[in-house]
Amino acid sequence: MSLPKLKAFLTLLMAIGAAAFFGSGGTFASFSAETTNAGSTAASGTLTMSNTVGTGSACATASAASQNNFNEACSPALTLTNLAPGTYGGAASITIQNTGSIDASALSLWAPPVNATLDAALTNGVTSGSSLTVTALEGTVTSGDSIVVSFGTHTQTFVASGSASGGATSIPITAQTANYAYPVGSIVQDTSSNTTASNTDCYDVKTTVAGTTGATKGTDLDFNPTTGNPLCAAALLYVQEQTGGFNYCWFGNSSNAPTGGCTAPISVTPSSALSTSGAITTIGVSALNGNVKKNDTIRIVSGNNTQDFTANADAYIGATSLTIVSATPNFAYPTTSTITDTTVQNTLNPDQADTISKFDTLHNGSSGKIPLYPLTANGTASTTAPVALAHSATRTFYVGVYLPGPPANNQNPLQGLSSTFGLTWHLDQ
Amino acid sequence: MSGRSFKTLLASLMVVGGLGCITVSGTYAVLSSQQTNTKSTVASGTLTFGDTVNTGTTCFSYGSGSTANVNGACAPLMSYSAAAENYPGVPATAKVTIVNNGSIGASDLALFMPSCTAAATPDAPSPGGGNPCAGGADMIVQETDSSGNATFCWYPDFAPGTCSWMDDTLSFFAGATDLSGALDLGSGPAAGASRYFTIGLELPSTASNTLQGQEAVFSLTWHVTN
Repeated sequence: MSLPKLKAFLTLLMAIGAAAFFGSGGTFASFSAETTNAGSTAASGTLTMSNTVGTGSACATASAASQNNFNEACSPALTLTNLAPGTYGGAASITIQNTGSIDASALSLWAPPVNATLDAALTNGVTSGSSLTVTALEGTVTSGDSIVVSFGTHTQTFVASGSASGGATSIPITAQTANYAYPVGSIVQDTSSNTTASNTDCYDVKTTVAGTTGATKGTDLDFNPTTGNPLCAAALLYVQEQTGGFNYCWFGNSSNAPTGGCTAPISVTPSSALSTSGAITTIGVSALNGNVKKNDTIRIVSGNNTQDFTANADAYIGATSLTIVSATPNFAYPTTSTITDTTVQNTLNPDQADTISKFDTLHNGSSGKIPLYPLTANGTASTTAPVALAHSATRTFYVGVYLPGPPANNQNPLQGLSSTFGLTWHLDQ
Repeated sequence: MSGRSFKTLLASLMVVGGLGCITVSGTYAVLSSQQTNTKSTVASGTLTFGDTVNTGTTCFSYGSGSTANVNGACAPLMSYSAAAENYPGVPATAKVTIVNNGSIGASDLALFMPSCTAAATPDAPSPGGGNPCAGGADMIVQETDSSGNATFCWYPDFAPGTCSWMDDTLSFFAGATDLSGALDLGSGPAAGASRYFTIGLELPSTASNTLQGQEAVFSLTWHVTN
């Protein structure tokens, strides 16, 4: 057989094979019967999520502002002001809900890279110019960094031709011809960031508003440089999940915490005045914003009155009662009194490993993503569970910051600074 | 080609088609969703204060003359002049106002005397040569209200009310030259608040003649912590 005839024969065979594959096996039957299930449809499901800080409004990936199901502009988790060393700033809850129709097999958390969004559109086919106009930059850009602009499935990488400080609204770049009409709102990320404390998503600036009316602010002071983001590198961060009655410390110090909890300070008030008439074994409190471990020292202060109690049971975030070793209050502590856990604070004060900077550099988008496996008990997560967040299900996380007060350590350079940072949550099918 | 070979070829094609189907499905079967909570802010407060001697200009812990929130160039409490020379039994005093102009309350205020040295005045007799820093001079640290009414004596009595003059208390106070031995003046002032003190020195009526024409040149350091 000649080569052309052989090719023709093989082509015919392939056609027959294909017909056989896409058709039916009935071709070669001597008898035939046939049924048709008509009108079948195959519709894709959805995998979307929402993110609610405290009792605020849900931020959805399905909203119009999102791009390719990514929403990089949800509300801040925390807004803490006027922190002093050794005092607890507080925590915020973030509830993640799978608002899609498909179960998610994985939920992850990491630090976003230095980021912003375009504040001036790029025109397709037109040279970008020597800078990108962006919203206030979260983090610091260094010359030579890769700056990725993306919108939906479109992406383009620029090279920073100079540095840009946190909060800047312009990033100097080497001009390129835009490969797409990137609109205002397109995501801008520095993929070279989050490698050292100096180029993290978390960045420091001096405060421009005083913590209390009429007081000094960061810009009044001359001993609080922002170089190296010192507050980011000192402030301790924790992320603790509390879902289905179970707790898990996903990031932060857990060296002195009840099982599954982070070493999270408390700063609460008694729900009713303490009575001096006899010994007590419980103290009703406003919802705990941290954890207490059995045997911790619980200190109550009102003016010049102070008393230490000993915790007699673990208590987690949200609890409204502390169990203590029987003791008689030495003062009728009113509901304005402050209750703290000095054991937790003393544990955290020397900690330099669980800072916001460490979170950014160890858990950035390119490495160290934290897989948030579903919880099965306090301190236990299932790494083999097929579903991390079922459709319509929620998981709740508490994010807290504590500014430690290391003993005999001058922290004046941390005065009047403000750290800004982000958290990224990611669902996979 | 035999029927068997033909069927084998068709089966192969079906396998290829099947693989293609499976492969294509695997490539595009990933959905994802992502959110970022941006711009959380954590801001520290400030702990700064000012020190005003009598009705003079307030000297702040930061700014001109300071380093790292330590200002060692504030005004002296008392200065020598012939007209202001002291006599036994006649105290010399200065009012000091400490104002917390930071945003964080001070949990502790402390006072110590980094240095006290003796010097001779131009009127110093010979002999003389006594050292008031080493003995023979009295000192008080009196807290008052804003009107100057005594509220608490931090030194030497450590009791509510007015301070009493006790012998050699300057030399004892001068022994605390750093924060480790500082006089603890309790908590505060709170952010935005002030505390008022009177610092007094006196030669007792029984003072030695060796203290005639002698100066005690000293510094006082006020220290607040959060």
